[in-house]
Amino acid sequence: MAEKIVDALGEACPVPLIKAQNAIKEMNVGDILILQIDHSCAMKNVPEWARKEGHNVEIEEVDDGEWEIIIEKVK
Amino acid sequence: MPREKKVENYDVVVIGGGPAGLTAAIYAGRAKLKTILIEKALIGGLATYTNEIANYPGFPEAPKGEEITNLMKKQAEKMGVDFKLTAVKSVDLEGDIKTVETFRTTYKTKVVIIATGGRPRTTGAKNEEKFLFDKGISFCATCDAAANTGKHVVVIGSGDTAIEEGLFLTKFARKVTVSVIHDCGKMDCNEIAKEAALANPKMEFIWNTVVDSFEGEERLERVILRNLKTNELIPVECDTCFEFIGYIPNTELFADQLNLTKAGYIITNEKMETGIEGVFACGDVRDKWLKQVSTAVGDGAIAGFAAEKYIEETKTFKELIMQDKKPGIVYLYNAIDVASRDFLSTIEKIEKESSGKLAVARIDVYKSKGIADRLNVNTFPSVVIIKDGKIYQVITEDLSEEKILSCL
Repeated sequence: MAEKIVDALGEACPVPLIKAQNAIKEMNVGDILILQIDHSCAMKNVPEWARKEGHNVEIEEVDDGEWEIIIEKVK
Repeated sequence: MPREKKVENYDVVVIGGGPAGLTAAIYAGRAKLKTILIEKALIGGLATYTNEIANYPGFPEAPKGEEITNLMKKQAEKMGVDFKLTAVKSVDLEGDIKTVETFRTTYKTKVVIIATGGRPRTTGAKNEEKFLFDKGISFCATCDAAANTGKHVVVIGSGDTAIEEGLFLTKFARKVTVSVIHDCGKMDCNEIAKEAALANPKMEFIWNTVVDSFEGEERLERVILRNLKTNELIPVECDTCFEFIGYIPNTELFADQLNLTKAGYIITNEKMETGIEGVFACGDVRDKWLKQVSTAVGDGAIAGFAAEKYIEETKTFKELIMQDKKPGIVYLYNAIDVASRDFLSTIEKIEKESSGKLAVARIDVYKSKGIADRLNVNTFPSVVIIKDGKIYQVITEDLSEEKILSCL
């Protein structure tokens, strides 16, 4: 199970979502993507998109207004 | 092999981190209850989709919704509330201890407060799915306005959100075309917004229309509107289409356990109680008349307070009322009723003369009838006799020392 960190800090919508979509494509089932963001707009679309795709999602608030969206690729 | 799940115990689990859930958590936290709030995405809920909140008291400068909810979050953190950002997968609401399951953790809790709110309704038009998630259809002007600087956008809807967010979009977009389902000049929004919109040179209205389909290659290129009266198809070239046509309650998780309205909202009473003891619902997810940040906050306060009362009463009920160590007398009275108060001295006398052989409890129903409800008593004053941890007899008429003693 590989873990991939994608830095989307400083990026506004829709960049974080596109980065996440591209990264997930390259990954295997069971791999974990950690998307780092600090624009709250990405908190609205990235988790929803990932869950709709069927992946497992948890989010860590690493600092005020800074998050890591952790996506486990399920299929 | 799935990993073994962690089990965590709480007094209160709040599901949903919008204004209702945050307020419920603030009240529960302040009551020193061990509280966790679970949110699937961004703390703040739908309020964070709003660019200007002009009618939440205390904020005359009409800040972004997120600014207000961030302050609420800070306040909840100060009260010792834990936060977890993940989706709830399932719940089991029956019994004294309820279960809330997430991807990696099982939460065991005395109280569940449901504040899951709603999500934007979609049009259901052809090809809509294809353009969701930053492919051209958006539900959040605050999120996507800047990316539409100098562009042409379409807004679907004519309610407060549609028109107010449409007006906000004119600050960025070159042109905002609004599809309104009603006849020319008729909108669902407030008058101030309507006047401003009609006077705005960047706004254009296409009346009597709904979305027929969305078209484009990779991204959305045009929205095809349909005139409801003539069936004429009207293609509108655009960069983004914003849909503001109402909300759907997030109640799928609870559908088989709680009473819902036909539209899917949770039915509660004025104490935010659902049909299941220890389960409360507040905010946009419950069936109510006005859905605003201010009413969500009011709901949340009631739910948080009700949670505290419920937990306290459950403890009293188990330990003091339904105890099985000795025969018990429960005196249910209303402190503002003189006759009820006078009889207290008789109860005291019985207690004194029993020299510790009786467990005597006095329950004032003035503030809360919770314990009385659990004992199924609704006339006051009354005396309930407990034997072996069970209700032995209920005396509601002609209370006297002799009558009580004869039951023991």
